[in-house]
Amino acid sequence: MTTPVPPPPGRTINRGLFSHYGARLGLPAGILVTLIAGALVSDRFLTVQNLTNVLINMSIIGIIVVGMTFVFVTRGLADLSVPATVAVGGLLVLGLESSIGTIPAAIVGVLAAAIAGGINGWLIGYAGLNPVITTLASGTIVLGIAQVFVGGVIVYGDNTEAQAFLTGRVFGVVPVIVLIFLAVVVIGHLVLSRSMLGRWSYAVGSNPSATGASAVPVKRVRAIAFLMTGTLSGFSGVLLGITLQTARPGIGTGYEFDAITAVVVGGVSLLGGSGTVLYAFGGLLFVQLLTNIMVLLGVPTEPQGLVKGALIVGAVAIDVALRRRGGRE
Amino acid sequence: MTTSTALRMTGISKSFPGIRALSDVGVDVEKGEVHAIVGENGAGKSTLMKILAGVYQPDAGTIELAGETVRLADPIEARRRGIGMVYQELNLVPDLTVAENILLGSTPARFGLVDRRALRAQARAVLDELDARIDTDDLVGSLTVSQQQIVEIAKVYAARPAIVVLDEPTSSLSEHETQSLFRIIRRMTEAGLAVIYISHRLREVLDISQRVTVLRDGRLVETRPTAGISAGEMIKLMVGRDLTDVFPKREVAIGDVVLEVTGLSRVDEFTDISLTVRAGEILGLAGLVGAGRTEVARAIFGLDKRDAGTVQIDGTEVSIRDPRDAVRAGIAYVPEDRKRDGIVPQLSIKDNISLAVLDRVSLAGWVKGGAERTLAKDKAVELTVSPPAIAPRVDTLSGGNQQKVVFAKWLAAAPRVLILDEPTRGVDVGAKADIHTIIGNLAAQGTAIIMISSELPEVLAVSDRIVVLHEGQISAELPRGASEHDVMHAATGEVSS
Repeated sequence: MTTPVPPPPGRTINRGLFSHYGARLGLPAGILVTLIAGALVSDRFLTVQNLTNVLINMSIIGIIVVGMTFVFVTRGLADLSVPATVAVGGLLVLGLESSIGTIPAAIVGVLAAAIAGGINGWLIGYAGLNPVITTLASGTIVLGIAQVFVGGVIVYGDNTEAQAFLTGRVFGVVPVIVLIFLAVVVIGHLVLSRSMLGRWSYAVGSNPSATGASAVPVKRVRAIAFLMTGTLSGFSGVLLGITLQTARPGIGTGYEFDAITAVVVGGVSLLGGSGTVLYAFGGLLFVQLLTNIMVLLGVPTEPQGLVKGALIVGAVAIDVALRRRGGRE
Repeated sequence: MTTSTALRMTGISKSFPGIRALSDVGVDVEKGEVHAIVGENGAGKSTLMKILAGVYQPDAGTIELAGETVRLADPIEARRRGIGMVYQELNLVPDLTVAENILLGSTPARFGLVDRRALRAQARAVLDELDARIDTDDLVGSLTVSQQQIVEIAKVYAARPAIVVLDEPTSSLSEHETQSLFRIIRRMTEAGLAVIYISHRLREVLDISQRVTVLRDGRLVETRPTAGISAGEMIKLMVGRDLTDVFPKREVAIGDVVLEVTGLSRVDEFTDISLTVRAGEILGLAGLVGAGRTEVARAIFGLDKRDAGTVQIDGTEVSIRDPRDAVRAGIAYVPEDRKRDGIVPQLSIKDNISLAVLDRVSLAGWVKGGAERTLAKDKAVELTVSPPAIAPRVDTLSGGNQQKVVFAKWLAAAPRVLILDEPTRGVDVGAKADIHTIIGNLAAQGTAIIMISSELPEVLAVSDRIVVLHEGQISAELPRGASEHDVMHAATGEVSS
């Protein structure tokens, strides 16, 4: 889109080069350092097998990250109903596939999640409710309905062909599920960077008042971010259900946290108006590589959580510091 | 060195990467003096004041306070040394009372609890010293902008500064309110304070200051006694060239009625507003602050709901519920509050210019990069936005250039009706002249223009016709050639003869 230009001459207010390039180079450098460190501490790290595993693990959460990026960019704070919409997708696809077939069941699963996301969007965008409270509440409600639907038990799938398809490898290297994930990233990136919706999303997140005064449908843009996150979470849940061939209501627990971590570490501002899908992807990659190294080193789960939590705080602190440095007159 | 000098800044230089903001600037201020600093946006006034406030450190130069050389390492140090800053944007807490705001940071306490009686008494004392009639128990959020400004000054004054800097204090005040502000400034100088006064309003500078320092492009042009200088000379010193006429009026053929507003009302704001604007005509909307000018404009543009009234474009009634409807009907609005309603700070110049008409450079929801760039470039060039690039973020531009970007955005929409709300507020003299040229060109192309301005000379010079509002109602409609006196009469609600 915008090509890099030399700093404008003349009467401009200085913003500092660090705030401009520091934010851009920090993440790729971090990923590189992590790769090198991983190779140094574990000889199993830089293997095709291990890195493919990392990609597979990333795929399910990564699809949600794309939606969450839109929520962040539009200053929608965060969507906490992700665990519920993931569960809806997973439970419905497995619960219905024996009666209506896997693909129709998958469609129903995604649609149900989309409806939940749409209701979130309407409540937040049009009714103006607080996103955190709204998605927390709607997530609880949706999860409750899902539990009633399956009777609170584990649902098992019976279509191992679909499972084999998703985990099967194209050209014997890249699993199908990873390709689906990468396709979602590319489409999400194009929409955010090249479409009217994308531009409007940045504008709404940066200054909703001026954006509304510029004839942009602010409410609709806000709503769409949550509709997208709901839909993509449902889709992610469907893929998860098919891959595991088992789903329980708690299947999506923690996914909202992981998605938020990735987006924040990717430098997408919680204050809205900036960040890209590719950087959120980078944030996810960084966190996943780090987790992978910890697993390879045999670090227990609890310290892993500590590291992720510290990453969020660190990334947000850097964002705020950069804004202070560069964003105000 | 005499002890009557409160402040002496000598040989101050400051550079930022790629920009030399100040080179070898010196200024001194006497106790009891109002010293004005003028210059175009980007001349270095803000940088100089930020150095005085301890926000920036100078690369070279010395600062002396009452004869003592000091280093102002940070804003706290500057405040401790008696430097009080009143910025254009007020730093008040709307949900606290006047007294609480004035003594914020030095709240009197007893046993760890706020001593309300002492708080009130101390705040009252400060306000009385300034001869300001504001109730100490009112919530700051309920005050008018001018009262808030006075509270802000009282807050700075309560810290007992030796030097007070006022940065564009009158940009949102009416003539009358400005006079009461001046009273307060005079009280402060009588008490021996040194006041630095920064303003684009040169008439006020002539009124209030004893000496004026002119900066241009980061350099000191001259410091002179105000008594021996005219506004015209000041402008010449500021821009380094003659601006023969500050508000040139372009004569334009006036066509048919484009906009007709009938019986527009909004509860508690304005009642029964009816007006027409013709193609090529500039209708001035005058009135005191709070008379309802901005409110009328916002309602026409669909930013606020109206309770009654119709809007017609070219004789056809249009339904306007939000700005989308208004833009579709061919109405554009350059808002009063540029920061809030005008620019989207994190987007580029290009993205701001195309924002309102993104659909016109898109295909099936995808922005056509080439078409968008062409549109943005054309408008940016047409409006002489500086720098002439379209990629920089809008918040890196000076106020005048940000305003040009807002204009460019609406020019891109090719509106039939353009409503301008304080289009030159907080904009330097050069950019002001540019904006007036743009307005003249738009009128020449047949755009119907409504112009709101608190600067009466501007309204008088530019308008073909003036509608004056008083307390939400039209109190007069005056032809071109009306005097400042006529407008003020109608605006204050006095029956004009």
